[in-house]
Amino acid sequence: MLEISDVTVAYGGVIALDKVSLSVPEGSITAVLGANGAGKTTLVRTISGLVKPRHGSVMLGERQLVGRSPEAIARLGVGHVPEGHGIVSELTVDENLRLGGLWRRDRADQRVAIEEAYELFPPLRVRRGVHASNLSGGERQMLSIGRAMVARPTVLLLDEPSLGLAGGLLAQIMQRLVALVTERNLCVLLIEQNARSALSVADSAVVLSMGRVELRDTAERLAGDDALRHAYLGF
Amino acid sequence: MFRRSTLARHGLFFLGLAILLLLLTSFVFDPYTNYNVSEVAIYAISAAGLTVLTGINGQVSLGHGALMMIGAYTTSVLLTWHADLPLILMLVASIATTGVAGAIVGIAGARLRGPYLAGATLALAVALPQVPSHFASVFGGNQGLSISPPLPPAFLGANFAPEEWLAWIALAAALITFFVLANLVRSATGRRFRMVRDNEVAARLSGIDVARTQVLAFVVSAACAGLAGSLFAYWVSGTSPGGFTLNLSLSLLTAIVIGGLGSLSGAVLGSFILVYLPVWTGGLTSSVNLSSNVANNVPLAIYGVVLIVAILVFPRGVAGGVASIVRGATRTLRSSRATGALPAAPEAPSQ
Amino acid sequence: MRLFVIYTVDGITNGMVYAAVALALVMIWRATRIINYAQGAMAMFTTYVALVVIRHGAPYWLGFVIALATGMVLGALTERLLVRPVEARPPLNAVILSLGVLILLEAVAPMLFGGQTQSFPVPVSNIDLVLGTTQLDISPFDIFTIGAVLVAMLLLFVIFQRTTLGLRMRAAAFNPEISRILGIRVGRMLTLGWGLAALLGALAGMLAAPAVYLYPSNMDEVLVFGFTGAIIGGLESPVGAVTGAVGVGLALSYVSGYLGADLAPLGGFVILIVVLMIRPQGLFSFGRQRQV
Repeated sequence: MLEISDVTVAYGGVIALDKVSLSVPEGSITAVLGANGAGKTTLVRTISGLVKPRHGSVMLGERQLVGRSPEAIARLGVGHVPEGHGIVSELTVDENLRLGGLWRRDRADQRVAIEEAYELFPPLRVRRGVHASNLSGGERQMLSIGRAMVARPTVLLLDEPSLGLAGGLLAQIMQRLVALVTERNLCVLLIEQNARSALSVADSAVVLSMGRVELRDTAERLAGDDALRHAYLGF
Repeated sequence: MFRRSTLARHGLFFLGLAILLLLLTSFVFDPYTNYNVSEVAIYAISAAGLTVLTGINGQVSLGHGALMMIGAYTTSVLLTWHADLPLILMLVASIATTGVAGAIVGIAGARLRGPYLAGATLALAVALPQVPSHFASVFGGNQGLSISPPLPPAFLGANFAPEEWLAWIALAAALITFFVLANLVRSATGRRFRMVRDNEVAARLSGIDVARTQVLAFVVSAACAGLAGSLFAYWVSGTSPGGFTLNLSLSLLTAIVIGGLGSLSGAVLGSFILVYLPVWTGGLTSSVNLSSNVANNVPLAIYGVVLIVAILVFPRGVAGGVASIVRGATRTLRSSRATGALPAAPEAPSQ
Repeated sequence: MRLFVIYTVDGITNGMVYAAVALALVMIWRATRIINYAQGAMAMFTTYVALVVIRHGAPYWLGFVIALATGMVLGALTERLLVRPVEARPPLNAVILSLGVLILLEAVAPMLFGGQTQSFPVPVSNIDLVLGTTQLDISPFDIFTIGAVLVAMLLLFVIFQRTTLGLRMRAAAFNPEISRILGIRVGRMLTLGWGLAALLGALAGMLAAPAVYLYPSNMDEVLVFGFTGAIIGGLESPVGAVTGAVGVGLALSYVSGYLGADLAPLGGFVILIVVLMIRPQGLFSFGRQRQV
């Protein structure tokens, strides 16, 4: 269970997140929606430790994440798939995947995990020796998610995975994601501007605006309520 | 309006300072002190030039020792040809040759930034001192050239101390240099220097010819180094490659860091420390009876530590310099506003 | 013709020493975007340490190993204690910091070891070999120099390209933020990077000392030439750095031989300026033009 309480983040004089609270239960996907600049990416970066909040706490089960370094948080099982893929383009596909679980002691299981990533995203297997800079947008997204999975995380933070992806590919990846969530009991936080696609896979949703939680509801209700959808999500 | 009143203010200040120094050197200081005072003035001229280049225009130069060498050799070579050439002419000649060298380096370095420019000027500082050894017939090889110190004019009397005369010359040169630079720094040109340092892209967008600005800054600072070099030759009564090692360039950099990067008065403070620190530590180490190996290197070790500590201790970089502690809180505010801190990376996140 | 061969061999041998320094500079640049101007002074220092060890009766090789180990420690400590705070700051800070370390080391060395020029022993003869009646223009020490740097390069290649440690170090250098969220302790990788770079520098110091002798500023020129080689190579490419450095070694050797030894450093300066003016991103870097 990922529990975010009262998190406030400020840069200089600007408040990026204002007392944001939400919980992500195990085995579920929570969508975080909102316009550009609403604070969605800041939220994810705060959880993964790249940003230090002014107040608030982020609990992973019994453990407090605030104050720990990003490396430490990753080693506690938080997988962060950053906005824009964040693959290391100078390395090959295989090297990128291996990066995912390098800190793990269990080498044998790591090899298994890498194989599973190739199973999850077969197109990567064909390109395993290729430099990541030569991948297409969709392949990069697959690589990024696969890499995060190699570490066998308990929490998965996905920042705008749909960016640059065509509809069919996006749907495929989302489906695999849903399967993974149930298989492995993951807590998934899904940041998306493409609210429609996010709501189709999420269990619950939170709408951020100017750093504040404006609305929180189940995905079904939010998708179903036309008025709400129009008001907050514009469709 | 602004120009005239600044000039007048500066003029009065320097005039007053000139009179004060005249009185001190004539009636208070003994010849040995005058000798040291000349050295301070000489370094101050060079440091002031470096301040303009590095502190105000943001271009790191590790080659100012080499530029001083050009000035010193110009004067020495000319005097070796013709011992009677007037001092003023020698100063001007040195300024000219070193200024040209500065233009060349400036043009070559106009596109270089930060570590690249530092590396290129480092290469110059290491390479140039070896050239005189090669053209030994002109430059006197490793022994170098000797020249006579400037003689006081007859009307001052036969017993007028040459150290005092040299101090007058050096101080006059320093006062004039600082007067010119102080006005330059406050002028539109000075503003352009700072703008290019703080944000090159913005400067270019507002119509400033960045390359020309960079070259001008180099020429100005090189001219100062040339003047200092020429005076240095008179002060030492000669020139040899050994006087212009990399240590000189590094010491000058240390001087302006100590004084506060970008502050002209700081350049004076730094030069003062540059000259007197070895004197003080020399006294200390001889009383403690340390070996000469240790004693001679104490000032340098202190410079190294000062540079390291200055960088580590000042969170915004070397904005105020070590001297700001000495000058107190209000002066710190004023110097960091006027000199402008090193362009700090914006703290904004990659949102 | 004979002279040309001599100059060429000299050039390559010296070039390999510069290559070690160039590699060290490139490693640090890729990891932390800093030029370590103190790399030469560090190498000088570790060579002095080796001399002390050897003078106390230890064999050359023990001194050699101790020099390299000391270098590694010195580099790691410098990164951890001095450089870490300035890594995120504007570049001028790191420039002045490394110059401070340079000045400090060159002042402390004579305090600890004496300031007079000293000779340095060689592990194998540095007299040119004779094959039958022909005098070859290369000595065992020359061969050792070239070989040692080649071995070092090979080891580094293996470490970086074939081990998980190397993968971590590369990732930390290419993209520190992503590496962090993947659980890589980027700080440690940087420290290790500086340590390895200083080890390379220490190697260069040991190889240079017999020829240039040992005195506090003996590595100043070697640093400058290594820097020139790295710049020519483009600062991003280890292969470029080595090629550039060997090129510099050759060019300087020819200038020194045909024009005069005192002019060699000036020749180096001219080469550096010319390359920086024509192709500031280096002769070997392709792709992004770097704002130099």
